[in-house]
Amino acid sequence: MKLNFDPRVKDACAQNKTGTVGLKVCKAVLVGDVAVGKSCLINRFCHSVFDMDYKATIGVDFEVEKFSVLSVPFNLQIWDTAGQERFKCIAASYYRGSNVVIVVFDLSDIDSMSHTPQWKEDACKCASDPHIFLVGTKKDLVSDAAFADIEFEAMKLANEINAEFWAVSSKTGENVREFFFRLVSLTFDKAILNELETRKSPVAQIGSNLISEWLCL
Amino acid sequence: MAVEVDGGLVGGDENYKQLFRRLSLGNESRKSPTTLPWDRFQNWLHCVCVVTFDLELGQAMEMIYPSHVKLTEKEKTSICYLSFPDSNSGCMGDTQFHFRIRQCPGRKSLGPAMNDYNRDCPTALQSDPGYYYGFVYFRQTKDKTIRRGYFQKSVVLISKLPFFILFNYLVGVIAPEYFTNGEPSLEAACHDIDQWPPPVPGETLNLPFMGTVVQIRVPSRTDKLIGNSQATPKSPLIPANNILPTLHEVDLFSVFQPVLPHIQMLWELVLTGEPLVVMASLPTVCTSTVQALVSIIWPLKYSMDYRPYFTIHDSEFSEYTTKTQAPPSVILGVTNPFFAKMLQHWPHVIRIGEMMQGSSKSMSRLKKGGNLKTLHSKPGVYTRYKPYLNKDKSILKKLVKGVQAKRPVEVQTAMLRRYLLELTQSFMIPLERYVASLMPLQRNICPHKGAPCLRPFDIDQFLKTVDQSGPQLTSGLKGDWVGLYRRFFTSANFDSWLRSRQLEVNQKLQALHLEALCQTDLLSWIRDKEEVEIVDLILRLREKLSLAQNNEIPVSRDTIKELQRHLEMIIVSLPEDLQSVLRK
Repeated sequence: MKLNFDPRVKDACAQNKTGTVGLKVCKAVLVGDVAVGKSCLINRFCHSVFDMDYKATIGVDFEVEKFSVLSVPFNLQIWDTAGQERFKCIAASYYRGSNVVIVVFDLSDIDSMSHTPQWKEDACKCASDPHIFLVGTKKDLVSDAAFADIEFEAMKLANEINAEFWAVSSKTGENVREFFFRLVSLTFDKAILNELETRKSPVAQIGSNLISEWLCL
Repeated sequence: MAVEVDGGLVGGDENYKQLFRRLSLGNESRKSPTTLPWDRFQNWLHCVCVVTFDLELGQAMEMIYPSHVKLTEKEKTSICYLSFPDSNSGCMGDTQFHFRIRQCPGRKSLGPAMNDYNRDCPTALQSDPGYYYGFVYFRQTKDKTIRRGYFQKSVVLISKLPFFILFNYLVGVIAPEYFTNGEPSLEAACHDIDQWPPPVPGETLNLPFMGTVVQIRVPSRTDKLIGNSQATPKSPLIPANNILPTLHEVDLFSVFQPVLPHIQMLWELVLTGEPLVVMASLPTVCTSTVQALVSIIWPLKYSMDYRPYFTIHDSEFSEYTTKTQAPPSVILGVTNPFFAKMLQHWPHVIRIGEMMQGSSKSMSRLKKGGNLKTLHSKPGVYTRYKPYLNKDKSILKKLVKGVQAKRPVEVQTAMLRRYLLELTQSFMIPLERYVASLMPLQRNICPHKGAPCLRPFDIDQFLKTVDQSGPQLTSGLKGDWVGLYRRFFTSANFDSWLRSRQLEVNQKLQALHLEALCQTDLLSWIRDKEEVEIVDLILRLREKLSLAQNNEIPVSRDTIKELQRHLEMIIVSLPEDLQSVLRK
């Protein structure tokens, strides 16, 4: 598990040499079975609310969160997809170009966990070398003993699908912020590294004037 | 701002706090609790229709989404007919075009968001309460499993906003998705649109749509017309996957290339509201040409009817093609060869060839001939019209040079657009200046009298000013400018321009008057007045207040409050019996 920002990233941030990362799109999609709590997770994080009533997502919901990481502005687009079967056919266009795939399951529903490899598979087909997270929700609903078993299984699964496992509760808020901050940090780290990588090949940037105009908000 | 420490990717809450700062995004995608489903959708689209070809019924409406949206039978019929190419011109594969239809009367008025939009957007982009636009994506492919042997279907976006580029882009994404995946794709796309903020002029908006974020800027009436001087956006920019540089601007150069030498004449024809018909073989060509014509007099609003795509099934077919009356002041786009005969009596016909490239040969023909002129099929402008202004060869030379130098089309279009804009401005500036001279003086705004009005527009008086301060000040073009003005005065373009100026100025005068009232010591003024006069003042103040509260007078909330305070003090100063009458 990666514990620190890459030193090159920290250097670049300290010296204000992060280029256009702040202007880039970091796209995250949430996938998983019906009613595992994808929208609740987003609502807890983005709006600090939790609603007991279930409301099915139609198609896809969209949120943008702005962060400042190591003083560099960074944006996260969150696409919260519907778990319903009837929307599966259109999912591909929503997955396209994702940098982060969040596969969500319900810790109190073992079936929903068994479907996660398939969700991951579908989402990653259209994504661009994404970070993958396996997130178990509704931690408040399972006993500590039961959780220990599930956690073991989930870690194993996470290993198989090359994901990082997190257990959260949107109701209590447990681990929600931590999870998203971890997600943003990792994505940020990677985005800056990519930026530094591509900058090695000096290519004149077309429209860089335009971009710099935009920078002076 | 966050303080940087040796940051790790995991850690306690404190560590995160130092590394992170979450920035608020304003109301970007926040719904207010009073927003109902489809409220936001309605700011952009009326509905999405799917039109199919049924063997028994012909064109038939297969679906309207969202399903609660009302269209009258007549509107449905129009949409069905106009969503399919009219003539059997082939159109195999996918075709995109758009149409415009009259809305049936008796619909509820525009919502508050639309009223705000219409007040601040360029007049030429106002949402028109009397019309709908339909943006069509038509697919025709061979399909053995269907009895007729063909799959023929259209997805149509119905909107009141003339954002051709945006809606053509949207339907270009939605339709193929729908043809492959069916209804859920419409549902998801419409749901995306239902999350969009309203179109606020001057703002840059980020619109989530089918997995990408489309960034647009809504044009504002206060935009500078020349130069790329868009103000710094107020809302925070987020990175977008797709940036649409314009919502409505047609690629003028590509569209007009086949008739470029006549561009200035076309400008006169559109300006003066002459009947014009565009004949093309493909709906796409036909709609973009009509749209380009309408925008040729930007920022002036083309105020007559126009139909980018007009067919024999159109409900206004007989009204517009009758031979018993002079042709109407409209611009029509047609593809059915039948119209060549039907509209023989029309004074001006533009024929655009099969392809948009327009070889140099077809570029310079001006046709004059007998009655059969429109049966002639070569591209060109067919008219007997004699332009009022002399031809400006310099712009043509520049553009031809550009073609030879393989200058990018975007640059050619920008040059052409600028040329036309300057031409329109040269024509309009004297009119604007004259209207400004009709303003009453500031010192004539007296709180104790009614608000002054703009003095009436006197054509002869205006024309007298043309000699001294006419278009020659800003344009090198020679010719009969006065004749062109006289012709313009008979057109609806002039009427609608003047009406909108009068409205603007009179509102401004009302506002100044209201502010003057606020700053007056009304209590001391009424001291020596008769009750009748005081009651009269109270009634006038109330009328003003109600206008101001309905946003018909542009004044600040504070001014309104101040005036309410005045009003209350005047009422209190009256005898009690009168007070109670006035409070009823």
